[in-house]
Formats: sequence, C-alpha cells, structure tokens
Amino acid sequence: MSICQDFGLNFQHRMFGNTCYSNSVLQALYFCRPFREKVLEYKAKNKRTKETLLTCLADLFYSIATQKKKVGSIAPKKFIARLRKEKEEFDNYMQQDAHEFLNFLINHINEIILAERNQSTLKVQKNNSGENVTCNGSVPHNTEPTWVHEIFQGTLTSETRCLNCETVSSKDEHFFDLQVDVGQNTSITHCLKCFSDTETLCNDNKFKCDNCSSYQEAQKRMRVKKLPLILALHLKRFKYMEQFNRHIKVSHRVVFPLELRLFNTKRDRSSEPPTPAPAPPAPLVPPPGPVITVDVTVKPKKEKKNRKSDDAVNPDRLYDLVAVVVHCGSGPNRGHYISIVKSHGFWLLFDDDMVDKIDASAIEDFYGLTSDIQKSSETGYILFYQSRDASC
Amino acid sequence: MAVQSDSGGKDEVKTQFVTREGTYRLMTLSEYSRPNRVGYTSGSGSSHVRVSLVSLPPSPGVGNSDSQNSDDRICFNHGKELYVYVYRGVKKAADLTKPVDKKMYKGTNPTCHDFNTVTMTADSVSLVIGFSTGQIQLIDPIKKELSKLYNEERLIDKSRVTCIKWVPGSSNLFIAAHASGQLYVYNEELGCGSGAPQYQPFKQGEGYVISTCRAKSTRNPLYRWLVGDGSCVNEFAFSPCGANLAVVSQDGFLRVFHYDTMELVGRARSYFGGFLCVCWSPDGKYVVVGGEDDLVTVWALAERRVVARGQGHRSWVSVVAFDPYAVGFEAEAGDSHCYRLGSVSQDTQLCLWDLTEDVLRARGRAPLPAAPAPPLAAPNGTVPRAEPQRRKHKEDAGSLTQRLAGFSFGDRRDARRSDGRAGGAGAAGGAAGGGGDALRLMGTAACPRFDECPVLEPLVCKKIAHERLTALLFRAEYLVTACADGCVNTWARPRRDRPERD
Repeated sequence: MSICQDFGLNFQHRMFGNTCYSNSVLQALYFCRPFREKVLEYKAKNKRTKETLLTCLADLFYSIATQKKKVGSIAPKKFIARLRKEKEEFDNYMQQDAHEFLNFLINHINEIILAERNQSTLKVQKNNSGENVTCNGSVPHNTEPTWVHEIFQGTLTSETRCLNCETVSSKDEHFFDLQVDVGQNTSITHCLKCFSDTETLCNDNKFKCDNCSSYQEAQKRMRVKKLPLILALHLKRFKYMEQFNRHIKVSHRVVFPLELRLFNTKRDRSSEPPTPAPAPPAPLVPPPGPVITVDVTVKPKKEKKNRKSDDAVNPDRLYDLVAVVVHCGSGPNRGHYISIVKSHGFWLLFDDDMVDKIDASAIEDFYGLTSDIQKSSETGYILFYQSRDASC
Repeated sequence: MAVQSDSGGKDEVKTQFVTREGTYRLMTLSEYSRPNRVGYTSGSGSSHVRVSLVSLPPSPGVGNSDSQNSDDRICFNHGKELYVYVYRGVKKAADLTKPVDKKMYKGTNPTCHDFNTVTMTADSVSLVIGFSTGQIQLIDPIKKELSKLYNEERLIDKSRVTCIKWVPGSSNLFIAAHASGQLYVYNEELGCGSGAPQYQPFKQGEGYVISTCRAKSTRNPLYRWLVGDGSCVNEFAFSPCGANLAVVSQDGFLRVFHYDTMELVGRARSYFGGFLCVCWSPDGKYVVVGGEDDLVTVWALAERRVVARGQGHRSWVSVVAFDPYAVGFEAEAGDSHCYRLGSVSQDTQLCLWDLTEDVLRARGRAPLPAAPAPPLAAPNGTVPRAEPQRRKHKEDAGSLTQRLAGFSFGDRRDARRSDGRAGGAGAAGGAAGGGGDALRLMGTAACPRFDECPVLEPLVCKKIAHERLTALLFRAEYLVTACADGCVNTWARPRRDRPERD
C-alpha cells in the first residue's frame, strides 16, 4: 500500500457488509472533481441541517479530503445506515446493482437540494407561483438548475417523423446518464451510435401523431442536444433471459478510449452517420430549423432562452475518462464491484479497502471478453467521462 | 469449400466478398498458424499478432520457379512464439509441418519484426524482432548463424517495442519505437555499451527532441527521438521514397518528419483518442491513419491537412494500408485517379475504401485555418461518393425541408468558420506543444470539425474473423490478414481481368 503514498486522497471506504456496489460508485464520484468540490462546498455551507443522505455523503467526502494520513480506509457506516433508511431495496446485506445505486443517489441528492431550496424560498415562491413551469416531474417547482443538474444533466432530443403526414415532432428529455446496449467487439463510440439509430415504431408500438390525430407508423431517433459536464455511461451488461428466468451478464468486449467525443449529437445534416446502403425505409431526416418543429414538451424557462439554434450547444465537446466502475463476476446480484480512477495523472484501482497504482494500458483488462463461453468477467460497467473544458 | 451467401446472418464470418473488380476469396488451405493446435488458447493478452512478408531473390542454381520452393517467407508472432514459414501464396496449401524457423521465448513476447530487403540473398535474410520487455534481437531464420541482442539489459529502454523497421535502403540501420514514446536508431553492427547511454540534445522542435548518444566510441543507439510528451508511439512508417517518416502516438497525433533533416513537416490530430496505425500512399502524397476514434483519417502532405475521414468500423482501427496494386480498378470513372485503402479493426471487420479524386478535390468549400493555400478547384460533374447528402442541399431544392436545411446549414457554416479561426489562431503558426492542445486544434487543418471534412463510407465492410484483426498486407495476387488468435489468412484477389489481358 505504500505505493500510493505520493498521491494523497486515496482513502477507501472500508467494506461494510456487502457494500462494494456503493463503495465503487462513491469512489468514482469522489474522483469526479466537479462533483467532489460541490459536495465539499455543501458541507462547508450547511453546518446545522438535519441528517440526510447528502449530509452523510458530505461528511464522508470531508473526512477523506481532510485525512492527515496518506493511505488508509474509512468505513462509510453512517452513509450506509442512512442509505438503508432511505430506500428499502438497499436495506439488506445483498449485493446490489451499482448503476441502480448511482441513479438513486444522484436523483436523491438532487431532490434534497431542491427541497432545501424550496424551503428557504417558500415565501418568494408563493408570490411567484403563477410563473412556475411544471415539467416531467424530475424538476418540481423551481426551474433553476441545481449543481447536480449542472454537473450530470444532459438533454436528449427524440425526433419522431410520422410516416403518414411526414410531420416531424421533437421532444426533449433530460438525463443524468446514458444507458447503452453492448455489442461484441465494439467500442463505446459504436454503442453510443447505435443508441441513436433510427427506430421504426410500428405494430403494437405505433406513434400517436397529433397532426393525424391517430396512431401511425413513425420513425424515431434520439440524439444528444446538450452534452453534460460529466458524461456517465452505463453499459447494459445484465440482460434478462426468458429461458433462464433471470439476468445474465453480457461480457462482450467493449473498448473505451481515454478521450471521447460524441458522434450522435444533434447538428446539421451533413454530420449524420452514414445510413446503411440497403435501407428499405427512407432514413429519418429531421429538419434542423425550429420552424416546422412541433414541440410537444414544456421546457424549463432557461432551456427556452438558450434555444437560439436546435443544434447541440457544444457538439465537439471533448471528454476525458476519469473513473470506471467495474463489475467482476457473472450476475447482477452476485460478484463484486471495483473502481478505477484517475488521480493526479495516475490510474488507481480501488478494491474495497485495497488500492493499487496501475498503468493506463492495464485498463484494457476491463474491456471484456471476446469469447462468449465464459460468463464471469471483469468488465467496465459505468464510465465517467469529464469534459476537458471543466478540468482546465 | 462452402460458399456463404452475403445475405446470411450479419455476424457470420465471411469467406468471400465482392467489390467492383470482382470477388475476393479466402484461401482456406493457405492458413498459417502454429503447427500444432493442441493446447491452443485464444486471447491471453497477446493481441499483437503481426505479419512480415519478404520475397527473396531467386537462387541462381534453381531456375525453375515451379519447384516446390517458393521465394516468399512469412514471419508472424503469437504470444511467446515466433514462426517463419515458406509462404506459398494462393497456389499451394500451407505446409505447417516444416517451419523455416520457430522460436519460443521465456518471460517476454515478440511484438514486431521486419526483414531486411537490402542484404537478403536467396539463402539468407536478416530479421529484426522487438519484444514486449524492450529488448531487440537480430536473427537469420534461414542460415541460423546470426543472433545478436540489443538493449539486452534494458538500459536503453524498458518499455515494450511497438514497431521495428529497417531504414529504407540501409543494410545496417533500423529503428525501434517504444511504448515510452521514444524511437531509437540502431546500427546492427555496433554494440550497445555496458552502461546506460548518456544523451546530448541534437535537434529539437515543436513537440519532439532528438538526442545523440554521448560516448567515446560510437555505440547504439545512434539517435533517440522523443516524440510527443512520452505517450506510447504506436507505429511509424517511411514514405515510399524513404525521405519522410510518419509517426503515430497514443497522444492522438500523427507527426510527419523529414527524416534526414529531422524537421517536423506537418501533423494531424485524431478526432479523439490515440492514433494506432499509419501508412503512406504509394505515390507518397497521402498518409492514412487509424485509431481509437473508430475512423480512418486521410492527411495530404502537400496541403498538410486532413482531407477525408472514413466511418464504418465498429471499434478501434488496428491497421490501415493503401493497396498499391489497385491502379485501374476505377476504369469507369474516366481519367480520375483513385486510391484504394484497406483497414482492419478490433471489430473483426475488414473495410475497403475508395479515395477518389473528387473527394480529394472537393475541399474548397471549407477553408480552414492553418491551411497554406487551399486549392479552390470546384468539384467537377461527378458526385463525390462521400457526400451524397450535401450535394442534395445544393442541387435539388425540392422540398421545404431541404431548403430550410440548406439555410440552416449556411448559417451554421459561418458560425463555425469564425469559431474555427478563433480556436485555431494559436495553432496557425504550425506545431504547438504536445498533447494538451486538442481543444485548440479543433477546427483547424490538423483536426477539422466532423462536418468540415468529407466522410467516406466503406466500399465493403465484412466480418472476416472471430477475433480482433491485427494485420493487413496487400500483395499483387492476394491480401494477407491476421487476427489475435494467431491465424494468418490469405485472400485471393479477383481473377477476372488478368487472364483477359494476358
């Protein structure tokens, strides 16, 4: 363990029950600098509040950040105890899904911040309540984005073209992470491209066209319109298999570069990925101009102000890989989670209360398996990419 | 041979594919691998299977070319092993029982190798081999007398040898690139000295430093080239004339040097991630690179700019190569010159690309910063293959949708241009810094935005293996591919036009 003495801040959360799913995610989040700084800032600002999951997290991050010893481990007892109170699914000693935990944690923290803000501005809110814009529920009452939004939230535009009347309607959805299907011997770039492939809605899955006032066949495509500061990518490696009546791990080899740009951002048509040559239905070509776009979502006010163009705000945003949550084993409720993070230019591997410095080239051990026979594997499960303009 | 139809399952491994010039067929009997497949394990981290091919001069005594012996020798590595066989091409089945030479190493893996074509004779050839632990070995697989070691004590460099090649036209100089980001020039006749080499700077420029070895008597290495900020050099390639050296690194840069003057001639930046492979066009005008952005990127030497990107692979591109024998495929396109490119990837697919004059000339519309003098020749009548959609914007303003798209497109373009200039101002003066300027290079000739550069689609894109592909060579009558499980395959070119002419 002496190996990591040079880097500082390499405290691990000591294993406590079967909690590596949370350890690995917390470890990764700690090394997402914008997130860590905001959590520590919260800790500094909020001295007296009652215990929430966020105060527990802030205490945990604070105790790691202020450790005098270079290396050691901390038991996140208080955090885990609080977590079990907050959500009954986590109230046991079973292995949990790290992505479900991440999803819960980010949303929950966001709700805590919103609730606290609403409390403190209750009177002001009452006066202006008429102006409040409601949207799909993730942002209640207050439309100002929280720091959780500012860090993790991106926007997807789903464009649907009715095959009857050719009207294109688009709808924006916010996300905290993107969940992508994995293919054998592919790259995360390709998986993200597939995520944006045109999908035909037909049969039982027809689209209700407002223009035709009926259910019609349609083509749908999802593209990224606002790129988040930290792009969290969840590789869908647990697939439900009907014949086994349970989830099976997909260990496919999916390479992920240390540096990433997205191809599936919303920009002018010339950048569209080439459509496969024998494409029976005409490719969906949505108009980029807002003129004939039928907007069916009610967006937060800020969103509207910024909409000078329908293109992505910064489609060339360059990301650096900062942390990876790795799943080891053969199924979602068994196996083990570890994390690899970048700290001060070095890559570190955290395995509950152990830490090792690893070479960047060793990351390839976590891409997955090219053979489909073995079911157990150590594979990248959640990737955290941080925008380079955030780190300089 | 069971012929699989192309309409079969998408993930089937193909044994043939069709292009304009005809059908390429896998020669199932010409598969080279280790002699004995017992105890065969795939994967195990040894993905760097490389292939070297050499045609020895015919021996004066044996005039009969139809004899059992072929003049071609093939070398490939797999895991700890290295094999040299007589290569019988497409005419005769591989005989795996009698390798010319085989080596098995302990504690280290061979990673790359190269035959010396200057000193070879009918019964002797020098083969230089690089290893995963940094050492270099020189052997003669035919005569078996020669065996020299360089960097044996790893005093020169401890990191993996990533690429090794003889200097073109030289009987005794070779260059080894390492994962440490350094290239070393060796003279095979010299020793490596007993101590660690002391260096003194010899020449330096933007993003590179060249040093010589300071010693009483001349010793290896003669020169050390530090390229970039210490990121792994993944491959290098000499231009066909031998004057220029193209180097690609994990820092995402292609750097082209004039070898003799050691001047940086130009550079390009990947869209993102490292560049993994590099190759020159047969006429030395273009450099093609592939990398972790899943793209094939073409860079023009004269203009020092990225002129096209190929999108079609589903994973990282491990080898790119120009097909030097592909002249004349494009007969129907009139006098327009056409380059044929091939690429293989970790996605187990082979892609072939046509790089047409139209694409290479259709650049006037996007003047990018740092491009010396963009030729403004308007694209002629033929439709550039790469951009059917953009053509549409211009020519048929049929539907409302398209016209609107056209307007929006124009606005966007202007915005981009000013963006680009602002962003590229720092880089306009040429090379700047190491790997930290990816943001500043975006929108310049070294790294155009994605829609500022023609995007090629592959002519064919076929899954041809179960494992990651790691090698691709073009020969007059066949292609050679290799994949990570150590199998080297030969694909016969279409026979269509040759019998007609002869």
